[in-house]
Amino acid sequence: MQISTPISDALERYLDLSSLELKLTAQNMANIDTPGYRAQGFDFAGEMERSLGELAAGQTKNGAARKPFSPNAARVGLVDGLIERPDGNNVSMDREGLNMAEAQLQFRAGIELLKRESTRVMDAVHVDK
Amino acid sequence: MNLFGVMEVSGSALKAERIRAEVVAANMANAETTRTRTPEGGPYRRQHVVFSSSAAEPNSFAGQLISQADPKMGGVEVSAVVKDPAGTLRRFDPAHPDADKDGYVSYPDINPLTEMVDLMGATRAYGLNSSAIQATKGMINSSLDILKS
Repeated sequence: MQISTPISDALERYLDLSSLELKLTAQNMANIDTPGYRAQGFDFAGEMERSLGELAAGQTKNGAARKPFSPNAARVGLVDGLIERPDGNNVSMDREGLNMAEAQLQFRAGIELLKRESTRVMDAVHVDK
Repeated sequence: MNLFGVMEVSGSALKAERIRAEVVAANMANAETTRTRTPEGGPYRRQHVVFSSSAAEPNSFAGQLISQADPKMGGVEVSAVVKDPAGTLRRFDPAHPDADKDGYVSYPDINPLTEMVDLMGATRAYGLNSSAIQATKGMINSSLDILKS
């Protein structure tokens, strides 16, 4: 029996990617004064699309045997188009601040949706009361 | 990867920035020091911190767990505190006990302006990382809320 719904599976990926975004932002912020450090990031929309595709493929094949998503599989790369400082570091405080706020809001939104989803499942569980 | 790992990364930055601020404070405190207890003696030498990007702290349990799960996780660490090779400032003061035979005293070459700017940078970076920790805390809290409903 499967208790997770397709929406909660998709939300799981969404939350995983949001926390990966937060992690990379924290890493960039931590290295804001490290000489030679290059800002890291990934394409959120692209990765989300890819993992949703994976999810859909897994479901049509076999609903039970879905492999867990590993955030390490996300293609993390160097961010280009940033201005490099003389010490070789190209972390932009504004970009990181914006990304952090964005990741936070995305995470909150994902959590709210997941809560709604779990309430729905719990309603179904307690339907006889 | 988990959210506590993000805190570890930001925590390493707080630690590194605090050490940087301490080194700046030591430089400003010793701006007029003409005698040191180092083997070479002489006036105080201005010090710098060198930051390098690192893996999460390997000696803590959380750090071990994180580096097992995701080896790319990297915080920051102070890899060295180096002495500035710049020379000393010589001021004429024959009455000073550390004056050389010509009556000049060697003082450390410390510019308070440079030090203040460095201190400001350290404070700002500290604030930036502490707001990252606040954000992480908010996210952990809200994910704990899933179970409450």
